[in-house]
Amino acid sequence: MKREARAFAGPIVAVLAIAALMSAAMLVAGTTPVAGFSALIAGALGGRNEIGETLVATTALLFPALGIALAFRAGLFNIGAEGQLLVGALFAGAVGPLLTIPPAAAFVLLFFLGALGGFVWGGIAGWMKARFNANEVISTLMLNFVAASLTLELAGGPLRGPVASGAETAWLPNAYWLPTLISHTRLSTGILVALAVAVALHFVFSRTVFGYELRATGEAPEAARRNGINIARITWLSLALSGAIAGMGGAAIVTGELHRFNTQLSPGYGFTAIAVALVGDLRPLWICVAAFGFGILEAGGLSMQASVQVPKDAIHVIEGLIVLILAARRYVVTRAHGASA
Amino acid sequence: MDPGAALNALVLRGIVKVYPGVRAVDGVDLHLVPGEIHALVGENGAGKSTLASIAFGEIAADAGTVESAGVVGLVHQHFELIGRLRVWQNVLLGREPRRGWRIDIDAARERVRALARDNGFSIDVDAFVDDLPIGIAQRVELLRELDRNPAVLLLDEPTAALAPAEIDAFFTTVRGLAERGTAVMIVTHKLQEVISYSATISVMRAGKIVARMETADVTLDDVARAMVGGRVPAVAPRTQTELRPCVSIERLRAGEGGGHIESLSLEVRGGEIVGIAGVEGNGQTTLADALTGTIAYSGEIQKTGMGIIPQDRQREALVMSWPVTDNAILGRQRGRSGKRLMVDRKGARDDAQWIASHFDVRAASLERPVRTLSGGNQQKLVVGRALIDGSPFVLAYNPTRGIDVGAAALVQSRLMQARNDGAAILLVSFELDEILALADRVIVIYRGAIAGSFDREAFDRAAIGRLMAGGS
Amino acid sequence: MSGILLSLALLTVIKATPIVYAALGGVISERSGVVNIGLEGMMIAGAFTAVVVSYYSQNPVLGLFGGVAAGALFGFVLAVAATRFKVDQIVAGTGINLICAGGAAYGLVIIFNQPGASNQVNALGGDYWVLIAFALPCVAALHWLLYRTPWGLRLRACGENPAAVRSAGLDPLALRMWAVTLSGAFAGLGGAFLSVGELNLYSDGMTAGRGFIALAAVIFGRWTPAGAFAAALVFGFFEALQFVLQGRIAWLPPDAMQALPYVAALIALAGVTGKVRAPAADGVPY
Repeated sequence: MKREARAFAGPIVAVLAIAALMSAAMLVAGTTPVAGFSALIAGALGGRNEIGETLVATTALLFPALGIALAFRAGLFNIGAEGQLLVGALFAGAVGPLLTIPPAAAFVLLFFLGALGGFVWGGIAGWMKARFNANEVISTLMLNFVAASLTLELAGGPLRGPVASGAETAWLPNAYWLPTLISHTRLSTGILVALAVAVALHFVFSRTVFGYELRATGEAPEAARRNGINIARITWLSLALSGAIAGMGGAAIVTGELHRFNTQLSPGYGFTAIAVALVGDLRPLWICVAAFGFGILEAGGLSMQASVQVPKDAIHVIEGLIVLILAARRYVVTRAHGASA
Repeated sequence: MDPGAALNALVLRGIVKVYPGVRAVDGVDLHLVPGEIHALVGENGAGKSTLASIAFGEIAADAGTVESAGVVGLVHQHFELIGRLRVWQNVLLGREPRRGWRIDIDAARERVRALARDNGFSIDVDAFVDDLPIGIAQRVELLRELDRNPAVLLLDEPTAALAPAEIDAFFTTVRGLAERGTAVMIVTHKLQEVISYSATISVMRAGKIVARMETADVTLDDVARAMVGGRVPAVAPRTQTELRPCVSIERLRAGEGGGHIESLSLEVRGGEIVGIAGVEGNGQTTLADALTGTIAYSGEIQKTGMGIIPQDRQREALVMSWPVTDNAILGRQRGRSGKRLMVDRKGARDDAQWIASHFDVRAASLERPVRTLSGGNQQKLVVGRALIDGSPFVLAYNPTRGIDVGAAALVQSRLMQARNDGAAILLVSFELDEILALADRVIVIYRGAIAGSFDREAFDRAAIGRLMAGGS
Repeated sequence: MSGILLSLALLTVIKATPIVYAALGGVISERSGVVNIGLEGMMIAGAFTAVVVSYYSQNPVLGLFGGVAAGALFGFVLAVAATRFKVDQIVAGTGINLICAGGAAYGLVIIFNQPGASNQVNALGGDYWVLIAFALPCVAALHWLLYRTPWGLRLRACGENPAAVRSAGLDPLALRMWAVTLSGAFAGLGGAFLSVGELNLYSDGMTAGRGFIALAAVIFGRWTPAGAFAAALVFGFFEALQFVLQGRIAWLPPDAMQALPYVAALIALAGVTGKVRAPAADGVPY
């Protein structure tokens, strides 16, 4: 009885703490919580356009969150989704304007290029982990900065578009813009690709031998190793695939939302996605639900900032708090720096 | 039965400790007399270690009282030492002699040296514990407790990692302590030692003390019967088999430093159990790792498909958070062809079902996490998984460690049946009794090399014991 | 030429200082057995708070203390999470990083009415050399504490085997609490150096991953204060090198050069981790 009561108490206390902090952030900014929360909800769900914006954010968060979940399930903490997304987007943005193939083939190619960019970027960290046992938390984070510098250099220099205002590539031809899903919104069919990836990932985890070996490695690396599972292969491959999924997110933004690569295209989706993946309990289908929830926060936060002047960054504090609270649950077998891969 | 408390060094009354689903300690009264070695015996899971931890004050009892005449010391079964600190640092942790804000290193060293001297041995106080053999490391653990000048000293399975010769030396030290007035309690399942060294015995079963005996009045069998509460289950009989070549290891070299293997050649034939006898840390783990292909080695190993029973079931064999069904195919997930891409879920269910019924794995449901199973049932699952494919070669590493007598007998029987059916079985065990009971051939391993080999007809416990300790 | 070398050396020392402080924090925390991924966030907290305190008090030294206190506060949060709630330390540290980054960005708008960067505030100016020089006695003191005092012995024991510390009659959780809080204070000092030492304002993203570079320095320096100090100097050198080269060699791509310190940290991480051993209980909740 007592334990059951406590199991309910935890989440309730957490939700109350989050609501209280959010209210405080609104009061400090000079708005009542009632006005603040109404603005947030209205901004996220108040109409066709608002829902569209929420789903645009959902799409952008869903890809990296799924990627993070894949690495996490393998026991690897990938905090480099931001960089992987950026490199994937650059790959798509660099090639997209040059294409002259039929749109259907172009979409496949652009998503493939996005995945390839992320695969390479995540794969670097994966290779470093598998080959040198380099701590992936630090390496993936470092690679975010390297990605930012490189994409800035390229998009500001050799790949810079002719009419670009900042560091951005040329625009994709109209034919290569992903079709709009809900008319008069910015929501593209990219969200369908994201959902398809979620379903595919669910299938990989639950049905395939690769998913089985990946989960065994994440839950019990020593047992996996002793039962013949090639941990080094799982390690580099899961970080690379994790990056590939995040990179597809970059391609989705390029083809579906901005129609060009811009170095500012992600306001930290790769970091927010960590919270999304954790709230979704690392399970692909729940992550879809979590991504929608965070999409509300992202889109609502922006319009809250515009209408009642509560800085949207308050939302990021809340996301951090959620991650901190969820840290109390055990996700991976802790592998300290020294533990061998 | 209840002498005046003043005479006792330690008195436990009505101790109860409940863990989810099990009353680990269920109303225990126990007293220890100064100057006497008392033995607390019982099978794995009887509650001995929990009781010792409660007496030490490490675990709080749910009910009951602990009274002691002075400091209580506890030497843990798994040493609680810090390998990368020096001997004196380990011994004096928490009680460092100071000079101002600093540790007075000279005084510290001298104190530990003197303490060792007083107990009849010498030790390099500046050595790192990681560099010490296990027997010496245990002395460090003992010194740490002795520095607190305990009135009561509890020793939890103190000889588990010692060679027979080291065991004698160890008990000489312990006797000296008792003669100087310390009350000693050894917690163990090794009955031979109990009979040889203790004055009184308490037998624990399912959380209760079921008998208290004077050692002089009883035989080993009396204690064994009291421990299991009835007949000791029998192991399947050995049958005549035809030996066929199966596994051969030639000039194997692997590992480095302590526990390495130095040019070892060995053959295990179908239809026999070869037992590797040796004190922990003499290369057994390296040999097993080389055989399972988890470390690099030089030399030649010829083997066929193998079933593996790793030594640490919770860390090396099972995914504790997964259900029985998923664990049933771990290591076999790619199927016989090794090329499967999809998990065979029906096959996994069938296998789990088969293992559960043939190996008596008692689980509320095969979809429950194996974490919820008892140690014995977890181990039976691991053994069943190693044997289910009828692999011609089985590597069994301490297959009955830490499980109850019934489960141990079943595991041993299944290994014997596999042997009778023609499998080659390599049994690595730190329990010499287990090896002597099961093996057709015993190979003694010492510092990574073979120190001797005995056929079943020629088993000689004393000679094997000497070789294990590096003698001849 | 010697002019370039001199400015390179000076810049190296300046750029290394915040990394040194954060890395010392990392050493303390990891030696006690807690991986502090939150160093970055604690640096942000230190940098931002120092500016805010200096803004209101007009006193950069007070700001410095404010920064240390803010770092310690978030160190304490991680300490409580890691000891009392036995959380996954990496996830918790990541949470702290997000909270601090978001909190500082929020605070900028609330206090200075503008996103991105704060107003200019009173800073240490030329006196920041004191803070640079202060790093050396800190390294020495931490070395002395870790290897010469009972507290250091116990702390190191705690990072290796907290159960052994417990059976020696000590409280490993209390040791970790203090260590991680102190770790945060050091990171806060490193952050404050960035904002009211080297510069005179806070801007979003100004810590730029230095907390993570500091973690790499901890590993590269084999978890010792002196080693971490040396490693921080190496990373500081690459940061300085990037600045010195940028102005002088025209054909070098300026934006890509910014990646230099991170690439150096990556190479260090790959080159060294196979050969060093972390404290045995590092990152493992007790």
